[in-house]
Amino acid sequence: MAVQLKINGHHQVIDADPSTPLLWVLRDHLGMTGTKFGCGIAQCGACTVHVDGMATRSCQVPVESVDGAEITTIEGLSQKGDHPLQKAWVELNVPQCGYCQSGMLMAAAALLKVNPKPTDEDINESVNNICRCGTYSRIKAAIHKAAEASQV
Amino acid sequence: MGKIDLNRRNFLITASAVGGGLTISFAALDSNAATPPMNGPWGVATTNPELTAWLSIAPDNTVTVRSAMTEIGNGAMTQTAMTIAEELNCDWSKVKVEFAPPLRNYKEDNVYSKVGGRTGFFSGRSTNEGNIKGGLQIGASARVRLQTAAAAEWKVALADVIASDGVLTHKASGRSMTYGQIAAKAALVKLDAEPSPKPQSEWTLLGKKSPGKLNNPAIVDGSAIYGMDVRLPGMLYAALKQSPVHGGKLKSYDAEAIKNMPGVVAVVVVDPAKTPGTADRDKVPFGKYGIEDSLAQHAVAVVAEHYWQARKALDALPVTWDDGPGAQWKSTEQIYDAALKALEKTDGKVAAEAGDISVLEKQPKIVEATYLTPYSEHACMEPLNGTALVTPDKVEIWHPSQHAEQAFWVAADEAGVSPDKVVYNQTYVGGGFGRRVFGNDVRMVVAVARQVPGRPVHVIWSREETTRQGRYRPMFAAKMRAGLDKEGRPQAISSRLATSKAPPTIGQTNGLKNTPYLASQIPNVRLEMQDLPFHLMIGPYRGPAYNALAFVTETFIDELAHAAGTNPLDYRLALLASYPDPGWAMCLKEAASKAGWGKSLPKGMGQGIAISNWPGSGKPQSGTTVCTVATVEVSKAGEIKVHSLDVAFDTGRILNKDAVHTELEGGAIFGFNMAMTEEVTVKDGRVVEGNYDQYPIARAGDVPKINIHFGGLTGHDRFGEIGEPPVGTVGPAIGNAIFAATGKRIRTQPFSKVDLSWV
Repeated sequence: MAVQLKINGHHQVIDADPSTPLLWVLRDHLGMTGTKFGCGIAQCGACTVHVDGMATRSCQVPVESVDGAEITTIEGLSQKGDHPLQKAWVELNVPQCGYCQSGMLMAAAALLKVNPKPTDEDINESVNNICRCGTYSRIKAAIHKAAEASQV
Repeated sequence: MGKIDLNRRNFLITASAVGGGLTISFAALDSNAATPPMNGPWGVATTNPELTAWLSIAPDNTVTVRSAMTEIGNGAMTQTAMTIAEELNCDWSKVKVEFAPPLRNYKEDNVYSKVGGRTGFFSGRSTNEGNIKGGLQIGASARVRLQTAAAAEWKVALADVIASDGVLTHKASGRSMTYGQIAAKAALVKLDAEPSPKPQSEWTLLGKKSPGKLNNPAIVDGSAIYGMDVRLPGMLYAALKQSPVHGGKLKSYDAEAIKNMPGVVAVVVVDPAKTPGTADRDKVPFGKYGIEDSLAQHAVAVVAEHYWQARKALDALPVTWDDGPGAQWKSTEQIYDAALKALEKTDGKVAAEAGDISVLEKQPKIVEATYLTPYSEHACMEPLNGTALVTPDKVEIWHPSQHAEQAFWVAADEAGVSPDKVVYNQTYVGGGFGRRVFGNDVRMVVAVARQVPGRPVHVIWSREETTRQGRYRPMFAAKMRAGLDKEGRPQAISSRLATSKAPPTIGQTNGLKNTPYLASQIPNVRLEMQDLPFHLMIGPYRGPAYNALAFVTETFIDELAHAAGTNPLDYRLALLASYPDPGWAMCLKEAASKAGWGKSLPKGMGQGIAISNWPGSGKPQSGTTVCTVATVEVSKAGEIKVHSLDVAFDTGRILNKDAVHTELEGGAIFGFNMAMTEEVTVKDGRVVEGNYDQYPIARAGDVPKINIHFGGLTGHDRFGEIGEPPVGTVGPAIGNAIFAATGKRIRTQPFSKVDLSWV
């Protein structure tokens, strides 16, 4: 069965088992490895992408369920890695091992779209992915910094 | 002065070098499956003129540093570049890092590991003395060779050629050129004598600036390649299942049942007895114990064209196991009971003894307490995985290891080839914490891939498999007994420990035997150990043994303070009053004053303090001392909220303030999670917890405010490590704070499973 997706602005026809999670379609069938596999049960958020603008944990999304959807991955968050969040992430030296960070960035980007000036509590609620290295305070600081930069 | 070396050896070395760089490129995807040396999925290693095996400079002035240390998130790779750049005087914005290839190290007389020794390729210790001295020398030598080549080119005196920001300048004639313009000629310069690096007081980068990690841009745009992200032409995927009871064997499986499922290529069995082994096992970085720590487990794997096909087929594969002796451990309680029972035995091996322990029973006050800490799992964000291509001529590996040279040797051992046939490509590592040191993961990868020769096989452990096949922080039981004199000072301490039998590569007494208390400040000491035959596999976990025994020691000291009727801060200061390392008292005072120690708090709130040292040689002014003050609130129903952790530390000096800050903060959160919630449990020999729903890791909203303070730094001439030290003192600080808040003494972890309700 072929599924049609629009990924980072490009139309893609996917020939895969329809039950394949969107995560593995991206990583394995399309070779887009920025979206990470962490847990497979939508707990950790490393696999977060935007599906029609909504932050979605792609490891629990069968590809057939998103036929025709618009998907944005970390590779498509900005043209040159210069989304205000990406810039703030580098300026504040947020990542440690970095494995969870693309999921964090995608969750944060979705939050800023609906809530341009989030509080710490808003972040706790919406960017509740797991970072085993413990970079949470820098993630919060970077989201606030990007929020300010975007409002100027 | 130097001269031009015409034998061009450096260029020949460049041409034969192997290994992966960090430049992101998918060029390899278009190339043939038989990848040429130097190709990694992330691009081709530089072929620019080499000044040494550690360093090359391109015509565009890009400086490429090769780091033997792998990058697990602690910034070791960036630190390596900083150290070299301090002496090289290059343009930091043009510095890149590649991973040094273990094969080249093997072929060229340990060209990399001779600097760092057996931890030369390890992910930590980037600031130890050998690595700092080695890096500075590499930078200084390269700079002088660049200056020498420029002096020859311009026919001027070497002393008149200034090297700064990647540019060589001759002031009198107004001439200048970049390092890149002269690098090829500088590569031929041979120095008669090695130049001396400048004194620390003249450093301009180390300790002065805090550059962020060089790989941050690749992380935030998703292009950084972790082991999980390796994609090779013709690559197959394997899903793996190991004996659910550690040490068990595969009894039967039915490959016929799944062979027609879509994409399935093969079902393969891993049998540890079939490991061919390589010669020279004693040359493995951790010696024969390093091999023992990496041995294979019985397993079955399904290999398929796509991962999801492999995973579905593995789930459908009928498998039965012979559980073996591990099945005797029906529950975690049975394990804990056995450990507690062992504490009553008197035939343990003596791990430390000083003075006369019979003094203990003659003291006016005796304090005794028993502690228990559980098995814990590293829970790295990147599940275990790796990729191998086995052909008759070579074994090529792409792997997220914490120790590339160890992984290289284990790969040779499992493939049964001489190490000169192993091309090892290091990737980024999605969390290490000790889990990926000894190479048991790369061994399983090779064990699977060598049964599907000719095609690269990417082996992935599911999260559940990763968790249940851990090499856990071992459980510890400890019985502490002290005799206090009439002033309340301990004149003698005896201790009995019971824990899993461990090889010497894993510390068993860190945080107890090597503390100032037991090592020197308390005159009469006896420490006994009981090794227990538990089946769960164990390994190093961020601060091995120290992560448990700092809790035991610092809770017990707190109990002694209470028994003596003394404030726990003052009690520690008094115990350490004669200890010839001012860092301990400085850290205690710094953390306490910044946390507002002694301030009046409402009922149900309290503060606790703990201090220790990692790696703790037992000698003053060594390692890293860390003190943590926890401020907690416990509701009457027993719900605990940790408001803040104030952390002070003494590494002697620091090289990158921001890097130290973030490691301390992350380490404190790691220690927080470990003490509060982590416990691996067993049912019928099997590990119960599989995924993050059963083994919770703190999220943004769960963690306390972490305050990092720099006032404990003594300025002593050392650069102590920073990744492991902050983990140990968090648990006892929180436990001692709970006691202050509620009067309930907590002697077991995790705290979330202890009834903390109070009236």
